[in-house]
Amino acid sequence: MQDQLEALRVGLLDEIQRAKTIKELESVEIKYLGRKGEFTAMLRQLGSLSPEERKTVGARANDIKKEAESLLNKQRSVFAHKAASSIGDAEWMDVSEPGVRPPEGHVHMVTQAIREITGIFDRIGFVRERHPEIDWDWYAFESLNMPKDHPARDEWETFFVEAPETKHGRMVLIPHTSNSQVREMLLGELPIRMINIAKCYRRQIDVTHVPMFHQFEGLYIDKDVSITHLRGVLDYFAKSYFGPNRVTRLRPHHFRFTEPSFEIDVSCGVCGGTGVALNAMKEDVKCRTCKRGWLELGGAGMVHPTVLKNGGVDPKKYSGFAFGWGIERTASMKSGTRLDDIRILYKNDLRFLQQF
Amino acid sequence: MNSLVSYHWLKHYVDLHKISPDEFAKKMSLCGPAVEKIWRRDDLLQNVVVGKILSVDAHPNADKLRICMVNVGEKQPTQIVCGGSNLSVGQYVALAKVGAQVKWHGEGEPVTLEAAKLRGVESFGMICGANEIGLADAFPHEEKEILDLEKELGKDAMKIVKPGTPVADLLGLSDDVIMDIEVTANRVDAMGMIGMAREASTILGRKMLWKPSNKIPRPTPHPPSLKLRGTGAPRPLSITIHDKKLCPRYMGVRIEGVKNGPSPWWMKQRLMAAGLNSISLLVDITNYILLEYAQPMHVFDVARLKMKGKAPEIHVRRAKDGEKMTALDGKEYNLDSHALVIADTDGPVAIAGIMGGERSGAYSDTTDIILECAAFDPVSIRRTSRRLNLFSDSQLRFEKGLSSEGVPFAMARAVELVLDLAGGHVTAIEDVYPVKEKAKTFSVTSTEVEKRIGVKIPVVRQKQMLKDLGFRVTGTTSTIKAIVPWWRHFDFEAPVDLIEEIARIYGYSSIPAILPVGELPPRTTDPETVWEDRVKTIAQGAGLTECYTYSFVSQALFEKTLHDPSRAFRISNPLTEEFSIMRTTIVPSLLNVVAENQERFREQSLFEVANAYVVKNGWNELPNENLELACAFYGHADGFKKAKGFIEHLLKELGVTNVTWKRMSEQGFWHPGRSVQVFKGDELLATVGEVSPQVTSNLKIDGRVAMAHAQLEAIFRFAGAGASYIPPSAYPESSRDLAIVVDRGVEYGKIEHAIRSVDPLIVHVEWFDTYQGAGLPDEKKSVAVHIALASRERTLTAEEVDVLMAKVEKKLAQELKASLR
Repeated sequence: MQDQLEALRVGLLDEIQRAKTIKELESVEIKYLGRKGEFTAMLRQLGSLSPEERKTVGARANDIKKEAESLLNKQRSVFAHKAASSIGDAEWMDVSEPGVRPPEGHVHMVTQAIREITGIFDRIGFVRERHPEIDWDWYAFESLNMPKDHPARDEWETFFVEAPETKHGRMVLIPHTSNSQVREMLLGELPIRMINIAKCYRRQIDVTHVPMFHQFEGLYIDKDVSITHLRGVLDYFAKSYFGPNRVTRLRPHHFRFTEPSFEIDVSCGVCGGTGVALNAMKEDVKCRTCKRGWLELGGAGMVHPTVLKNGGVDPKKYSGFAFGWGIERTASMKSGTRLDDIRILYKNDLRFLQQF
Repeated sequence: MNSLVSYHWLKHYVDLHKISPDEFAKKMSLCGPAVEKIWRRDDLLQNVVVGKILSVDAHPNADKLRICMVNVGEKQPTQIVCGGSNLSVGQYVALAKVGAQVKWHGEGEPVTLEAAKLRGVESFGMICGANEIGLADAFPHEEKEILDLEKELGKDAMKIVKPGTPVADLLGLSDDVIMDIEVTANRVDAMGMIGMAREASTILGRKMLWKPSNKIPRPTPHPPSLKLRGTGAPRPLSITIHDKKLCPRYMGVRIEGVKNGPSPWWMKQRLMAAGLNSISLLVDITNYILLEYAQPMHVFDVARLKMKGKAPEIHVRRAKDGEKMTALDGKEYNLDSHALVIADTDGPVAIAGIMGGERSGAYSDTTDIILECAAFDPVSIRRTSRRLNLFSDSQLRFEKGLSSEGVPFAMARAVELVLDLAGGHVTAIEDVYPVKEKAKTFSVTSTEVEKRIGVKIPVVRQKQMLKDLGFRVTGTTSTIKAIVPWWRHFDFEAPVDLIEEIARIYGYSSIPAILPVGELPPRTTDPETVWEDRVKTIAQGAGLTECYTYSFVSQALFEKTLHDPSRAFRISNPLTEEFSIMRTTIVPSLLNVVAENQERFREQSLFEVANAYVVKNGWNELPNENLELACAFYGHADGFKKAKGFIEHLLKELGVTNVTWKRMSEQGFWHPGRSVQVFKGDELLATVGEVSPQVTSNLKIDGRVAMAHAQLEAIFRFAGAGASYIPPSAYPESSRDLAIVVDRGVEYGKIEHAIRSVDPLIVHVEWFDTYQGAGLPDEKKSVAVHIALASRERTLTAEEVDVLMAKVEKKLAQELKASLR
């Protein structure tokens, strides 16, 4: 029996090695090791042996089985590897062709800027509110400490609406978002941390002006609000929006509805705030993007006591600050792609819109 | 308002020793007027020196050229070939040496001079015309004329100058810079050199060198040296103010025996620095006061004034309707009673505070003058200026508000300059001041100041800052009482203005930046803004491109798109007809975008989200601002389905369920056979359809456009409301497909409804195809649907499903005359 076993081993290993395909290998396995296989049949005969013989022959039979299985696995993996590499040729495709993309939509540059600005202020608890875009003179001017004959009103080239005058004056297309200041205060819910973004309208159209544009207005009213807080919020905004390397400065300015009033400058991203840039010939020249290293961002100030009063807020108990400026300008200052002609934003040329 | 300031000139009023223009600019910008630009005045005068012409000889090869030998202070004279038409021996000229930068014929970018041969003769530089070294405004000249320094500056000026002296030194321009400074509208005082110096003195902590004076030499009515016109004039000047509200103060000084002519160079170059041209000495003096004191003045020629009696009469009055006056700009202006004028006995001789009249101005033959210095009501000046469309340096300052108290100071200085430079005698001083201006006083506590600024500043320091700015300050250890100086009279309105002064002089850059903490605001984010953003995200994800169109549209666009423009608010002062009405729907604008892009983009999927402005209860109420969504699909084979599908998708994404779609067959903007509306209950959410071919052809659109128009506020009201879920069933669904043959006119909606109404075990009905054509009668169509049946309690048996399907078949046959294929 021992001899028979050895003879079977030689035949088994030989046939495994000679199998040329995975199918042949499988039939060799069935022929010897299958339920009705030759090797299996031999194992069944072990019972007829004496206990000693059974022990030695049994052990040997097990070794042979392990040896055969290990060789089978080895050969199997050889065939599997061959199969895997041949699929590359058999199922070759041109991977340089473009993929199938989901439909590609675009949101406007202004929407993107609004989202980013809203998000930045949201993180410090400024909630976005909505206020009218067509409003009364009272909210747009008078209540902001700008009486009818004040020259400050000349700066706002205002559109008027054909409508009867009421006790709140004429109906206007808002020339700035500051109408939301008194409106928000009159809701009587203090403290206030508001952002209002709306369409604004002025009678101007040229490369740097469009008759409709967007502004955002920030309003903060609480007890003991000081200039330090205004600086804190503006600095936070500039760093969040323009990047950690940019700094802001406040300069004195004059607005009727704030006192003190400020102009906010942000350091120029092109020349790094030096006012000196390199030209094409690598020479130092005056930076063309900024004024002496600074870009004007917009206006801000501490809310004027008269405006607080008009909003029904007691200036003895509360103080606050407001700021606001154009979305379009802010966005174009960030991208560094200063729009040569701002009107392109509202031309709706798909060649422009589909770049965003 | 921007002001051009010569740094050299400014140094006459405030000690700026060892402060560079750059340092000045930096510090001033942080605390006050912002210096926006700085440029050197002598840029074009480097290497340009005074030369004296020793000889002028003909050029052997050119008729129009001369060969000059010029003394430039070196051992050997310099040879120059020059084409100047006014060359002469002994002349002092501006000579640009080799290496200098000049503008050829005054045009283009500067070029660097090199030694050259001109028609065979060597030339080592250039004798310059004024325009070639940037002095054309100072010394206007004919083409080809070179700058004759002695002629322009006078013999005295040349006596002390040696050939070789830099021309910039001779002209007093060396190392000077011009600063372009932004002055805010409330600080008209800082438009003057004195006001600017005062700012600099406080901000930089430097001494003021200028001292105010309002002393005018006593008048000598009958100096024997003067021949007065007429005989025995008792009063050489009379002034009457007829409207003291519009003119609170008017001062006139008569000076006789003056001689008008060109101004001295020092005055000319200062006017030039500020961007003003020299006209004549007397006019230049008034402009010089404008620049120094920010106080406009005017000069009248007495000989040109009409008089009834023996003395000139000045009447400050409102114009009479229909009165006319030709101003110094040569134009005639029609006046009315709103305008304040200065008049003689005949009529207006000046529009008060805005511009003088041509008839009575100072000319070269003027010898007897009245200097005017006055205060006018700023609102009146502004209104008149706008009404007449007439603007001037004078009006610009008056309309910001100038104090009555400044008048005598400016007048004293003007008289001093006239007597110095034009000679003459003061023969009358009249100062009519009916309403005395009362200085304003404001008080704040130092605690208020600190609270508002957010830093501790000792009260002594707070007071000192105000004193430096010219306030008279009293008060206790905790309060500040400040009297506003006259030059800030119109600027100051409230105690908080004092805080601003202290804050800016303290320096905004020294105030720390602190993020506020504190109570949460009670108001929360407007949910509409959040949903709006979500809509845009959904639209972008669906492949649509966002547009932004103007809120105002033309009447024509509304008419072409069959909308009623009479329901829209109108702009009373539109820029153009294009922007004349406020749109009541945003749909036409988006359709217009399709039209404008159709040449380049044969397939478009667009959207916009914006407000439409719709009249509420009447024209005397603010309109409703309705947030709308518009979508447009152009060039797609199945545009309608795309538009409808997008709205279905949007509603699903926003969680708006159980909506009903209803066919719309109105004729108008929408295609009457291809439009539908979706409702939630009775509330309209959106309209979807093809745009009527009539409308598209009005807009010259080639092909059909499908659009959707959604009322976002209505949609948001139902959005995400009560979001919940149904647990997945434990039992399998059975499904069957049916091909239902019906008349073409039977709507799918009816089929689905009929199937669903058979039994609640029918949980899902889904359309997947509609077929018309071969194999079917002409008037029939076959609608293929997929039906799912399920129970939440058990698995349905095949027999149960068959029974239900038989019911479906029967129902369809009964209600819709349908058969199954």
